[in-house]
Amino acid sequence: MRHIRPYITGGITLLFAAVIFILPFLFIAIQAMKSKSEASRLNFSLPQEWLFWQNLIAVFKARDYQLLLAYFNSTLITVASVSILVILSAMVGYIMQRRRTSWNAIAQIALFMGLMMPPAVVPTIGLLQDLGLFKTIHGMVLIQVAYNLSFSTLLYRSFISTIPRDLDEAALIDGAKPWQIFFRVILPLLKPVTVTNIVVQSIAIFNDFTNPLYYLPGKENVTVQLTLYNFQSMYTSQYNLLFMNILLVTIPPLIVFIFFNRQIVAGMTAGAVKG
Amino acid sequence: MTNLTLTQIRKAFGALEVIKGIDLDVRSGEFVVFVGPSGCGKSTLLRMIAGLEEASSGTIDIGGADVTYAEPSKRGIAMVFQSYALYPHMTVAENIGFGLSLARRPKAEIEAKVRAAAETLQLTSLLDRKPKALSGGQRQRVAIGRAIVRDPKVFLFDEPLSNLDASLRAQMRLEIAELHARLKATMIYVTHDQTEAMTMADKIVVLNGGRIEQVGSPMELYRNPTTPFVAGFIGSPKMNLYGGPIAERMGCATYGIRPEHIRLSNEAGTWQGRVRHIERLGADAILYLDVPELGEMIVRTEGETPFSPGTILWASPISGAEHKFAA
Repeated sequence: MRHIRPYITGGITLLFAAVIFILPFLFIAIQAMKSKSEASRLNFSLPQEWLFWQNLIAVFKARDYQLLLAYFNSTLITVASVSILVILSAMVGYIMQRRRTSWNAIAQIALFMGLMMPPAVVPTIGLLQDLGLFKTIHGMVLIQVAYNLSFSTLLYRSFISTIPRDLDEAALIDGAKPWQIFFRVILPLLKPVTVTNIVVQSIAIFNDFTNPLYYLPGKENVTVQLTLYNFQSMYTSQYNLLFMNILLVTIPPLIVFIFFNRQIVAGMTAGAVKG
Repeated sequence: MTNLTLTQIRKAFGALEVIKGIDLDVRSGEFVVFVGPSGCGKSTLLRMIAGLEEASSGTIDIGGADVTYAEPSKRGIAMVFQSYALYPHMTVAENIGFGLSLARRPKAEIEAKVRAAAETLQLTSLLDRKPKALSGGQRQRVAIGRAIVRDPKVFLFDEPLSNLDASLRAQMRLEIAELHARLKATMIYVTHDQTEAMTMADKIVVLNGGRIEQVGSPMELYRNPTTPFVAGFIGSPKMNLYGGPIAERMGCATYGIRPEHIRLSNEAGTWQGRVRHIERLGADAILYLDVPELGEMIVRTEGETPFSPGTILWASPISGAEHKFAA
């Protein structure tokens, strides 16, 4: 009896996890393939007619191929902000870990404020308007960088603490300038945590709904998550297309996550235990 | 010719002064070993020579130039770290040639110099490997190779052998000594191991509490230690040192006798004691005696010693080999 118990508890746990994680996804997938009238009932019954292609094409064609523009915008924002984030937070993390000055405490507080304090939307919009960055893609990129910098920096800083200082000093004696030490010795060693940062941040930024909603209004600036919103307001009863759209928007981050799952954990835990 | 001169070097971390005024001359081509217990400031002193720590006061002069405030790379030094500090993402060749590539030397020159260094250190077959695929001794050789290509005026070694196992340590000790003989370069070597100091040094600098206790050749320090600290630090097993009434009777503050300068006898001698423990090393044996008059006494005697634990015997110092230290 005793040796069966782990299997029973394991099975129950798996079932529970499946209900939480798979069922909603299944619901989305089924709704996405129903006809308009069937989908509006929002129940779990299988569709009488499988309308996968029809719905797919309808979603793409909606609003003059708006989804394609949204994919382009989202990708642009994601790539640009993640690139800046990686370079910037690795540098900040490196300096904060290595250089001991009286500014460290202040920088530390700033870092945690960035992590904990909710951003104030209306003043930010005011500031963006004054700077002429409101409703622009690069303004959005800067917002994403600012909002996510603390988290990335913390990841980098804890990882850098595991890289022995001897390496910096050896490079210094070899004649490396500070920026050469960083780019030629430290940065290549940060690869695991850089992968983690890229994956975690690109999923977060690609999936972001609220920030583009606040800071990036306008038809030409639409991002993938906002296409959902547009759908709902335009075809209030068209749940089948809404769910098809959800499906399309969910897939890219899902693929990234499945492929890099292992590296994410490796990078997250690398700084946790000093080796 | 003097190659390195330290003048009144001091270093303080906040209120804590770790180097309390060091004056030292190192001649060109000399192998100097800084030795002392942990916390005596020997590594700090080396790091100050390297430029990794700034001197609080005093001057450092290398090859006739004042480098007290110069960048590490401008001092004409190269350093080998205890942890080797090899760049994990570079191959052996890239590790050795990193300094040259930073200096933007032509590719052919880098390759030639790396190859020459690799040959000196028997690393030629390993040039394409990454450090993680190397053994401890090989890593240490790569670290030395990285120092050699810089063609420095002074080599600095910071406890380079303490991460190696005993047999490898003996082998690397020999290799470094031979390298010194071949390159005829000035080398400064930090260690807490008196065996390394004795076997490799032209000149030993014994440091204690941020000050130089004594400077001299290994045998000078062995024969004529000027303080009980040096006497206890140089030589293994360490010298028997006694204060109190026995020293007073000898007319000094501390009386010292080396374990190898004591004769043992069954019949008669200066002190009577009981053998507590014997360590047989083969060629010789180390006896630990309990002497009621003195306390513990360590004696080195021949390996085939007839004594066994529990034996009562007599110990006498060889006259002339005793050390008497005034207060």
